[in-house]
Amino acid sequence: MEKKLSKKALLKSFHNWYYGHLTCFSQEHMQTFGYLCAMLPLVEELYQDEDEKANAMNTYTAFFNTEPQLGTVIVGMTAGLEEARANGADDVDDETINSLRAGLMGPVAGIGDSLVVGTVIPILLGIALGMSTGGSPLGAIFYIIVWNLFAYFGMRFLYFKGYRLGGKAVDFLIGAQGEALRESVSTLGGIVIGAVAATWVSVKTSLQLFNEEGEAYLTLQDKLDEVFPGLLTAVVIVVCWFLMAKKKMSPIKVMLLLVVVALVGVLVGFFDPQLVY
Amino acid sequence: MEISWIQAAILGLFACLASMPGLGGTSIGNYTLGRPLIGGLVCGIVLGDLRAGILVGCAMQIVYIALVTPGGTVSADVRAVSYIGIPLAMVALKSYGLDADTTEGSALATSFGTMVGTLGTVLFYGTATINLAWQHIGWKAVEKRQYKKLYLVDMGLPWISHLACSFIPTLVMCKLGASVVDAIKTALPMDGIAMKTLFTVGALLPCVGIAILLKQIVKSAADFIPFLFGFVLAASLGINLVSATVVAGMFAIIIYRIKMLSVRKPELAGGIDDEEEEI
Repeated sequence: MEKKLSKKALLKSFHNWYYGHLTCFSQEHMQTFGYLCAMLPLVEELYQDEDEKANAMNTYTAFFNTEPQLGTVIVGMTAGLEEARANGADDVDDETINSLRAGLMGPVAGIGDSLVVGTVIPILLGIALGMSTGGSPLGAIFYIIVWNLFAYFGMRFLYFKGYRLGGKAVDFLIGAQGEALRESVSTLGGIVIGAVAATWVSVKTSLQLFNEEGEAYLTLQDKLDEVFPGLLTAVVIVVCWFLMAKKKMSPIKVMLLLVVVALVGVLVGFFDPQLVY
Repeated sequence: MEISWIQAAILGLFACLASMPGLGGTSIGNYTLGRPLIGGLVCGIVLGDLRAGILVGCAMQIVYIALVTPGGTVSADVRAVSYIGIPLAMVALKSYGLDADTTEGSALATSFGTMVGTLGTVLFYGTATINLAWQHIGWKAVEKRQYKKLYLVDMGLPWISHLACSFIPTLVMCKLGASVVDAIKTALPMDGIAMKTLFTVGALLPCVGIAILLKQIVKSAADFIPFLFGFVLAASLGINLVSATVVAGMFAIIIYRIKMLSVRKPELAGGIDDEEEEI
């Protein structure tokens, strides 16, 4: 009789992945144990024989790490493959499963990091920040609800898509449609981040030049804002981008550099937070 | 403002859940509870000053708006930012008599949070290293075919790592924090060079957060245009963030449709070419 994974086992597998993919993280094995836990309910349902079980579980001891939200699709695909193997498909063995996993985890991590962590989350946070202006908890609550619904149902969708469609499930992500989606989402992200920067980041100079009567004839900040409102903020951001993207400096080094810039700026009077008790 | 043992312990528990790799799972833990904005909500409720918590959380959220951890390398630790940095910043603001809604207030909060977050990366490496011990137990279990034990290894034993690297550090730092903040306050007057620098750094640091995000999106100079467009919407036209998102969504749809047209072009172009030949 043909073996078919029950909905219950699939859901248990999905929930094990949803929760446990990174709970036991180490630099050496990363998501490997999460993956083992996700496969266990499936293996237990598909195989009765202890040797077969061991054989199947051993497949998933290979190193695994990807972007966990989008990576759910890979777990779903292996669920489908494992089912095929249990039914005696000749072309599915350890090697096919593991080369699929190894081949996909890199690209999926790249797409996932820029799409989920680099775009969706910042956009949601940007909106949430706008709603929390003045100390209102509304934005935080909005983020908690929207992100978690999106993450749970999105991942669940990907898992079952992967299970049903197998290899076809990733065509959507890696193919031309995925490319179009990525491009439009990153434009959306760019615009929102620009608005976030203009709303929440504020770099100001206190530099003033005085004439002989002691009146300020040049207030640099006002002049800069006449050219382009928030010019100084935008310039500092672009410089930080340049240092990290083009000069390959690490964020921590850039932060340390900013400490030096701030110190020098304060000493020459370019920056002055004008603190008073 | 004093943080009680119970308050510190609750924050410690949240630190266990929120860290990367945390026990709340990535979606609920790292990406929800670990975000400084949500950390601000939690700290605000626990410490009894919701408004200040949210405002401090907002200020720090900008710095960490795009905390991507490619391949498990981190430049800041979310549990330290959200559950050590935010409470300490709230204490510091109270102690300095600053309102969190002012530029100075958020600059102070940002400096504090970033400092703690950067130092906190040690907690990340600590947790990951202790987890190696549990994984060792896990491999033994796989060898002996005791697969049920994997659940314990993956979801149970890491609590011990977090007791050592999340709970206790948070507890201790939150308790000691208030006196440390007071000591800093006496040692460094507000109008001195050190504090001025600290506040200026606080205003500059969010630029790094935004720039990290841009690194993902901007590959060539033209890619800066959407960013600057959004900047202009908010800075020059005074459009708020939710409205700016709607405008951005409009552009996203247009781009998607155009792109999809060019994907389908081979079929369409085939038809058009034929007609042209006839002319």
